[in-house]
Amino acid sequence: MRALTEEETKTLFAKLANYTGSSLKNLIAPLSDSPDADRYVFRVNKDRVYYVLLSISNLATSIQRERLLSLGTCLGKFTKTGKFRLHITALPILAEHARYKIWVKPNGEMPFLYGGNVVKAHVGRWSEDCPEHQGVVVYSMNDTPLGFGVTARSTAESRRLDPTGVVCFRQADCGEFLRDEDTLFSG
Amino acid sequence: MAPSRTSTVKNKHAANKSGIKGSKLSKAGPQDGIVQKKRKGPPPTAKGTRPAGVLKKKKKKVYSEKELGIPQLNMVTPVGVEKPKGKKKGKVFVDDRESMNTILAIVQADKEGEIESKMIKARQMEEIREARRVEAEAKDQERKAKFDDTKDSLRKKRSRSRLPGVEVDGVKDEVATGSNALKAKKKRVSFA
Repeated sequence: MRALTEEETKTLFAKLANYTGSSLKNLIAPLSDSPDADRYVFRVNKDRVYYVLLSISNLATSIQRERLLSLGTCLGKFTKTGKFRLHITALPILAEHARYKIWVKPNGEMPFLYGGNVVKAHVGRWSEDCPEHQGVVVYSMNDTPLGFGVTARSTAESRRLDPTGVVCFRQADCGEFLRDEDTLFSG
Repeated sequence: MAPSRTSTVKNKHAANKSGIKGSKLSKAGPQDGIVQKKRKGPPPTAKGTRPAGVLKKKKKKVYSEKELGIPQLNMVTPVGVEKPKGKKKGKVFVDDRESMNTILAIVQADKEGEIESKMIKARQMEEIREARRVEAEAKDQERKAKFDDTKDSLRKKRSRSRLPGVEVDGVKDEVATGSNALKAKKKRVSFA
């Protein structure tokens, strides 16, 4: 387990900034004003990135790298080409700081949770002035985060779209907790 | 006459050294038959000319290895071999808050700019689309109006042509002026 390099930090933040607004800086802010206050840090083990309290990560140094399965919140993994892929496990953090949101009607929840894209007919509400190809967090109508995706069209364009037109391409959904159970945390 | 064969000697220096003293090879002279005189002692040329040539040769600049810039390994240097001086070996980690914040600020500014430019672009495209739509609508309206005008004029023409004595496009109604003009009179039925 190690800290991220500069390049890796940039890639990670760029990915997170796709979905979040300016409140992203709160992610790494210390928990209190005292000089030795605990704070959250990013740690890499194998190729996975974890968002974890510094005190816990310090404790985790006593465990062998190979034996350490997971700690804190897994945000995603670095691919072999150096890109970063967000996992569904990062959803609570993204949902907290989301900039653009889409609310899905109850009849659209299941299609989305089974891995489908969001079609216009299933959209209950959406954030105004959202450009295309922008990261959005998908919520159910009672504000439960279901996953995240990328907008297919800007809000203005999607208004003219027919009901079966895709509004948001799925990136990750809560169904992955079951579908990718065996590879989500290891392997 | 048989064609003369030219023999090739692969190793010039080994040609006369067969390794066995007094063997045929070692005794034999140069194979092309030309015997060069072995020089012994100083060359017979005049003393004044020779040193000048030597001096000229010595004036040639001798380059050192560094000046030539030849890589130490005369091939493509593998990534691990080249060691930049004064640089830390291995990865440089970012763990302090200040540098993290700096990177975050840079990335966020980048993203903000990206989103802004996307929005501006989208707005411009929307404006263009709107302008096109208005133009198309106006054209459509114009076309419709023209069509309506033509229809109206045709209708008027027909109604005028029914009236007697009305000249339409310079052609008098034949019915009105022709030989059977009387026939055109409306029949009336009256009950006494």
